[in-house]
Amino acid sequence: MVSLPSFLFVSFILFLAGIVVMIARKNVIAILLGIELILNAAALNFVAYTRFINNNLEGHIIALFIIVIAAAEAAVGLAIVIRFYQIRESIHIDDATQLQS
Amino acid sequence: MFIDIMFILSALLTLGGAFGVVASKNIMHACIYLLGSLFGVAGLYATLGADFLAAMQLVVYAGGIIILMLFAIMLTGGHKEAVNKFGLDKIPSMGSVKTFLIGSFSSLIIGSVVLKIIASIINSHDGSGKLPEFSSSVEKIGTLLVTDHVLSFEISSVLLLGALVGAAVISRPRKQ
Repeated sequence: MVSLPSFLFVSFILFLAGIVVMIARKNVIAILLGIELILNAAALNFVAYTRFINNNLEGHIIALFIIVIAAAEAAVGLAIVIRFYQIRESIHIDDATQLQS
Repeated sequence: MFIDIMFILSALLTLGGAFGVVASKNIMHACIYLLGSLFGVAGLYATLGADFLAAMQLVVYAGGIIILMLFAIMLTGGHKEAVNKFGLDKIPSMGSVKTFLIGSFSSLIIGSVVLKIIASIINSHDGSGKLPEFSSSVEKIGTLLVTDHVLSFEISSVLLLGALVGAAVISRPRKQ
């Protein structure tokens, strides 16, 4: 039951859910939620491979950096969302049509 | 046996949370479902023997990112439906049937490509699935972070500082 293909399957479904959320939602914060799902799927793949294939800890380090990058991305992305809401009074992605207010 | 039960529970929590993020109509509910999915991923990390990584996943995601997202949702009006100002077509902000059809079609294409790639891995894997026995990974990760990966460690600290300053500068109200 606990083997590499089962983890790959879970990560695959997680990745597809993230893709669907990223494409189908029109809310900027919901798109950020989809990006978090995709980053988690990638980190899960790294940890599963490093557990079952070569059994050193390189994948853990990579997953740690993925968590750091996700935190930085969420901070900057949500700051951009809040600024966008102050300017356009909306968080609909179709309202984002100008680079400068 | 215990590992199997833990894997099944974590995988169900992960996939159920991901399905909730896809299907929920309220952005607040989607955020809470994402929290459940991240808890499930932390459980999967613990199943894989990555104890430090599971703890970091809980601390950083549940304590940091989800709270940040909830604050951003509440600051931008919560579940209030955004109206398109141009009046061309009023797409609901959580997606319509058309956008979900586009999303599932493109995920079908990407998924078939990815399945083609991982099918060879699954076939070549012997399927024994023997786990090496568990030993705590905290000390080894700490040693690796300050010896082999010290450059990327420092770069990530600079990245976090830049993200902090950038977020503060961007979200500051502009002077007239």
